[in-house]
Amino acid sequence: MKKFLNDPVNFVDEMLEGIYGAHKELTYVADDKRCMVTAKPKAGKVGIATGGGSGHLPLFLGYVGDGMLDGAAVGGVFQSPSAEQMYQVTKQIDQGAGVLFIYGNYSGDIINFDMAAELADLDGIQVKQVVGNDDVASSVVGEEHKRRGVAGIFFVYKAAGAAAAEGLSLDEVTRIADKARSRTRTMGVALSSCVVPEIGHATFSIGEDEMEIGMGIHGEPGISRKKLAPADKVIDEMMERIFAETDYKQDDNVAVLVNGLGGTPLEELYILFRRVAQLLDQRGVKAKHVWVGEFATSMEMAGASVSVLHLDEELDRLVAAPANTPFFKHCILR
Amino acid sequence: MDAIKASDLIRLFETWQSLFAEQRDFLISLDGKVGDSDLGITMSKAFAAAAEVVAAEGEGAGISKLLRTAGATMARTAPSTMGTLTATGFLRASKATEGADVLGTGEAAAFWRAFRDGVAERGKAKLGDKTLLDVLDPIAVALETAAGSGEPLAKALAAASDAAERALEATKSMLAQHGKAAAFQEKTIGLQDAGATVGYFLVRSMAEFADS
Repeated sequence: MKKFLNDPVNFVDEMLEGIYGAHKELTYVADDKRCMVTAKPKAGKVGIATGGGSGHLPLFLGYVGDGMLDGAAVGGVFQSPSAEQMYQVTKQIDQGAGVLFIYGNYSGDIINFDMAAELADLDGIQVKQVVGNDDVASSVVGEEHKRRGVAGIFFVYKAAGAAAAEGLSLDEVTRIADKARSRTRTMGVALSSCVVPEIGHATFSIGEDEMEIGMGIHGEPGISRKKLAPADKVIDEMMERIFAETDYKQDDNVAVLVNGLGGTPLEELYILFRRVAQLLDQRGVKAKHVWVGEFATSMEMAGASVSVLHLDEELDRLVAAPANTPFFKHCILR
Repeated sequence: MDAIKASDLIRLFETWQSLFAEQRDFLISLDGKVGDSDLGITMSKAFAAAAEVVAAEGEGAGISKLLRTAGATMARTAPSTMGTLTATGFLRASKATEGADVLGTGEAAAFWRAFRDGVAERGKAKLGDKTLLDVLDPIAVALETAAGSGEPLAKALAAASDAAERALEATKSMLAQHGKAAAFQEKTIGLQDAGATVGYFLVRSMAEFADS
């Protein structure tokens, strides 16, 4: 293990101290740094909370800010935050219009967010939930409820965040979040392992010349492990699975997210996007919004994922709306 | 006693607190065989905290409010899977007993039915998965039957406790499907489920309390 660390036990809390120091628009409640909320709540707006384990920056807390999320409960590395932490965040960000939880499909997160929703309900706070399940590789068609949530949750945050900023009701924001969720597909590929600081060694081993298609962002087993192929071939295999599940018509619009898992240079991500664009072009599908960079990582794992959101008019508008968070800034130039 | 009043419920939580303090090491060793050994710690912490806040709130709050306070406190003090499931059980029991001045057989049946349904929904387990649910279901069924035939509370709870004991024994032959124990699969055969043990302890203690 080669990491910048003090005591590994303090990894998450020291990371948070750095983040609060750098980004004054973020603060925390309940005297617990892991209960992150925006320092600038907007009266009457539907609150949006997320949460999940650490080790995935910019996910999850990095999207707390204007036009996206209002709070995030922060867990240990790859561990769910507690129901109490989620509840404290919920209580703080409720502006009387209710709160939407958006998080990934992992059993620990589900049980705790459900509990937090029940505690909030006792306080009379209305809570809805949308659970991201974009990872095509983690279960077959027909069993989508078993799929894990990965980088594609970014699109759900973006669309729901913009809808809430427009002043829509909790039901409407939930409907839009659920629509973005159901129209997003992601495929990932890993080239090397992550290392959890408190464990100190690689989560899994993978040969120098191997890749694993479909691996999860905590190192969950993927679909196939094989010799690393040229970049275009890797994207062809990944996109084939995404295309197989979506009924694209000529001139349909999509938003594309090419996401680095933490240890892959931007240059390589653009080489991957180049091929994604070619394949979309061959089908007459237009990549109307494109983001290439790190959005949901797995510590130092080398690898990438491609997420595609099948746009309709409403999602097109919301995805394009401005946002300003510590880790994601999107402005509209006129 | 024929019915558990709010003042009795406060004493029942004290009883549960001492029970889980006594059984702490037993639960740790039981859970340690196939889990992460934290169950004894979780339960003793959860019930110690619940007993304290329920006593502080006082009988004036009434049955439903006391159960709600207990559940919310457990969720806060024991954020593990079993802590959360137990907390959910009490919160649902609180809803099911809204407006009830005492827990007679009918209210006790509603209490455990809601407890079971809450745990099933939150834990997403099925019967036979070797979990707490495998004990909660026969408890709820036994109490419903007793309520249907008008049995007094102490007798009804005694029957539920017997049903729970048999159900706990039956978990020995089941294969774990949830939590860390699921990774041990075959190795869990022959072991009683740790979560189900908690469910049995709860109802046995409640039955003894009602009989005293």
